[in-house]
Amino acid sequence: MTEVLWWCAARGVEWTWTWQAYPGVWLFVAALVVAFVRLERREVDAPLPHASSPMWRRTAFLGGAAALWLVLDWPIGALGAGYLASVHMIQFLVLALIAPPLLLLSIREEDYRDLARRLPEGPFRSVTHPLVTLATFTTVLAATHWPPVVDTLMPTQAGNMLLDLTWLATGLLFWWPVVAPVPVRRSWGYPMKMGYLIAATLVNTGTFAYLTFTALPVFATYELAPPFSGISTRDDQTLAGLLMKIGGAAILWTAITVLFARWYRESERGGSTPA
Amino acid sequence: MREPSQPLRRRCLAILATLITLAGAACGEEGRSADLDRADGWQGAVLENPVPKVDFTLSDTEGRPFHFASETEGSLTLLFFGYTNCPDICPIHLASIAAVMRDFPHELRSRVRVVFVSTDPQRDTPERLRTWLDGFDKSFVGLLGTVEQVNAIEQSFGLTPSFVDQAQNPERYLVGHAAQVLAFTTDNLAHIAYPFGTRQSDWAKDLPRLVRGGFGPREAR
Repeated sequence: MTEVLWWCAARGVEWTWTWQAYPGVWLFVAALVVAFVRLERREVDAPLPHASSPMWRRTAFLGGAAALWLVLDWPIGALGAGYLASVHMIQFLVLALIAPPLLLLSIREEDYRDLARRLPEGPFRSVTHPLVTLATFTTVLAATHWPPVVDTLMPTQAGNMLLDLTWLATGLLFWWPVVAPVPVRRSWGYPMKMGYLIAATLVNTGTFAYLTFTALPVFATYELAPPFSGISTRDDQTLAGLLMKIGGAAILWTAITVLFARWYRESERGGSTPA
Repeated sequence: MREPSQPLRRRCLAILATLITLAGAACGEEGRSADLDRADGWQGAVLENPVPKVDFTLSDTEGRPFHFASETEGSLTLLFFGYTNCPDICPIHLASIAAVMRDFPHELRSRVRVVFVSTDPQRDTPERLRTWLDGFDKSFVGLLGTVEQVNAIEQSFGLTPSFVDQAQNPERYLVGHAAQVLAFTTDNLAHIAYPFGTRQSDWAKDLPRLVRGGFGPREAR
């Protein structure tokens, strides 16, 4: 009988293409869907006339939730947890850079404003300040790719779940100043948002260089994992570093292009700033 | 502003020193999973009683007799018992050694011999063993013998004899075998063994030192 695990972890056993259930991942994605449906059904006091279309938001949510499910569940989740650093990096990119903006885009502007009303303004403004979110993202990115941290967390399901959810939470915080309409910041227009994302393309340089140019494997988890598909540990690590840099840059520059296009369109219409 | 009191300052310095020590220790450990004896800075497990090189003869992958003692005389010899269907220990050990040796200059590399003895003669044909070893390094020597011969050799090195576990699946069975690599230096003794969990960084530190005569006459302790 297939053993049931609730979250992926490095198990040190030979890889097989036999399907493996991870109910913890399903519960997490199901909880996300339930939260979205409940938020959607909530009555709003004063609907905004220029709010984004429900179809667009639902598509964004489905994209975000599907991306999360894809990288947390078998086979990507299992491969990334215990066999290939490059797949682990794909998980990072999706959890921190792709799913969070899609999930944030799926929330109605009215719900954002309601949230801002409920939270204490000072701490809310501080936590979501772009300098704070960028510093947090940079710190978490470096810390969660530091070998002792990776090798301590990956062998256990709880540790791996902590790592996955930390990336997701950090990603949500990182994208907040770009996507969320609250708190309103006077000088925070399209140029600043683009500058913020350009700065973000640089913050992973240290980790990228460490992974790509270190001659020896840095993660015991992947170095001592049962071999998968003939790729060497060193090539896998180099690929992971390149994915972090090139993949991360591709995602961020796509977002920068979208922001620029919106800025241009709104300037053409004669309107101005905030998104 | 008030100057911090002496005890407080001392306490702060003590905390700072502890943090630096911990950070240093964490950096040095590089996430090691194996708990190795690091006597004298060696990354492998130093053997209290060095194992003498036993003379044995088995067939290599070309079918020629390979006299272990004479063929490896004067070289650092890494001896390992395993099988080509091994899912983890064997390919990880050999891949690590091969990756590190590729970084060595030719002069150093030519003084290391890796000898792999198959513990699964039923499935490891000479062709299969050669192809498998070539996937790591073409210089690796593959040896074959009967189960009885190989078990006797393992025992002569103080290793647990291998056993076939066909209970689960008679077609795709596992073979239990010693997980350590014995490193014989030029004095024909294995002073050090490398268990599963030895990392490339460990091999990269120890192999040049062993080749240069670590434990041998030139670097005798």
